[in-house]
Amino acid sequence: MSKACAPGTAALNGEQPLPNVAAALAAGRTLRILSIGAAPGRIGRHGGTYTAQIEAMLHAALKVTRIEIVNRGVSGELAAAAAVRMRNEVALEEPDLVLWQVGTNDALAYVSAEDFAQTVRDQVAWLKAHKVDVVLVGLQFAPQMLRDAHYVKLRDTLRAVAAEEHVIVVRFFEAVEILNRGDDAAMPAADEFERSEAGYNCLSQYVARAITLGVFARHLPHRPPTPPTAAPKPQ
Amino acid sequence: MTRAPNAVDFWRGFALITIFIDHIPGLVYASYTLANFSIADAADLFVFLAGWSLRLMAEGRGEKRPIRDVMLRLFGRALELYAAQVLITMLAIAVLAVSATELDNPLLLQWHNAAAVFSDPVPTHIGLVLLTHQLGYFDILPLYVVLMLMAPFFALIDRVAPALLVPVSLAIYVCVLAFRLTLPTWPVAGTWFFNPLAWQTVFVLGFACADPGRGIGAFARRNIKWLRIVGVPIVIAGLLIHLFDLWPDPTKVPNPKLFFIADKTFDTPMRLIQFLSLVAVFSFAWPYIRKAAGAPVWGRGVEALIGFLAMLGRNSLYVFCIGSLLSLSAQVVRLYYRGSVGSDTAVVLIGIVIMAFTAWLAESRQRGRPAPASPAPRSSSR
Repeated sequence: MSKACAPGTAALNGEQPLPNVAAALAAGRTLRILSIGAAPGRIGRHGGTYTAQIEAMLHAALKVTRIEIVNRGVSGELAAAAAVRMRNEVALEEPDLVLWQVGTNDALAYVSAEDFAQTVRDQVAWLKAHKVDVVLVGLQFAPQMLRDAHYVKLRDTLRAVAAEEHVIVVRFFEAVEILNRGDDAAMPAADEFERSEAGYNCLSQYVARAITLGVFARHLPHRPPTPPTAAPKPQ
Repeated sequence: MTRAPNAVDFWRGFALITIFIDHIPGLVYASYTLANFSIADAADLFVFLAGWSLRLMAEGRGEKRPIRDVMLRLFGRALELYAAQVLITMLAIAVLAVSATELDNPLLLQWHNAAAVFSDPVPTHIGLVLLTHQLGYFDILPLYVVLMLMAPFFALIDRVAPALLVPVSLAIYVCVLAFRLTLPTWPVAGTWFFNPLAWQTVFVLGFACADPGRGIGAFARRNIKWLRIVGVPIVIAGLLIHLFDLWPDPTKVPNPKLFFIADKTFDTPMRLIQFLSLVAVFSFAWPYIRKAAGAPVWGRGVEALIGFLAMLGRNSLYVFCIGSLLSLSAQVVRLYYRGSVGSDTAVVLIGIVIMAFTAWLAESRQRGRPAPASPAPRSSSR
């Protein structure tokens, strides 16, 4: 974890086991990851996609040589549509882990929190039933969205569903929010692109960290989920 | 002078409005489009009718055009589509940039695959020009460009060995499904949302069905009653699958799985067969719709609707382009007004009015010119 990204780890949730990833590694199989959602459309100014960065970090952290990340992100897609498509992709790609960035498009399209929660809950249950681990990647951060009650509600809904289903959620919004608070003091001149790119670079690290902890958390006793914090009041 | 309303233009107008609505995620009216009641959706209809229109381009009216003229004409059309795609992509990027600035919301710069355009513009602009980087919901025209580049090949087969047209297309389709062949995206690694190697099948089937004198076009006309009898239960099955979530578990089907699952990217057989059933079943509708235009009470309304949709269909490229930009703009408006029923109604109505104005404007240039070739004689027989 780079020094710049380290403060954001305060916003990441505790370890949840990834038994199917651990089993793949234990069997010496190629670790197959299906990436779906909004983030795969992002590349850094200096090249290197989000998924390529995760792959490189997992190689280093897990000491495995064979990792294959398949990118099937469709930008602008709502969770419900992604869920339908994901089932086909799981059948075709046979991943051990699905990396699902979810929520931002639903929040921007004003999908109700109840519908959103049900979609994520059903999809996580389906993945578990098919012996596929999942890491949810939460909503993207923009300081302006703190004033949007619906956006904040979906952010917290995702966190609540993840806790209820005992799956990892990388709380991207909160992590970048912490990073930006640090930026305000240290780098007031950082523009939105720099902030955003820094956020995505850190996101790769957070995801790689979550997967690594999930692999080694396989023997941990099951922890009760941490209750979600109350949503901040819209300003 | 513009051509009279016909079935192809009417249904193409219907497809254009449906695509406009489908491309506004979260819109309350998007729950009532074809995609909610059928495995196939308006994209299948749009591509099928594009293939149908290819027949007219390839053969013209009366005597057949020389094959060299056909090739040049089709290649010219592909260039026209390509230019349209580049133009609307640039306008869409501008819409996102302006919206992000005016709404003070940097998330909009990352919407719909635009993040790479702003964060890494050098390779991404090359990708935009090569069509290997496509914005979300701006991915149908790239498909159409590739189909039109393939069109001379299919037109040539149709001219020299017409019996091979559909078998060649199906052979490509089977290989694509069996080996999961597709086109990659770049610089963001991925695949095309609409795989042209698979979607060429519905395009070629439209081309073949438009020929009333031979092949499957003649077969379909001779046996349309039987095709409808077979098609009705398939259409109903598609409806039930949607309504009661009866989708087969894709992990449980045999290999090669693409032959047995419903997938839009590869326009898989489940989707294609259901779409062809829809065409067979609803092909009865056009003569009745025309007849209804003569009804004493609501005939005028039906006539106006026919004229309206046919006008959109006659100017499909312009209307499609403006519709794509309107869908994106509507998403921004929904974001601003927080997706209320009122704002949803307003964006749909205003969008349709602007699409109609676009078609009217395009036709105003043609007034006074002689009438172009019409696909009506072929299409109206269905």
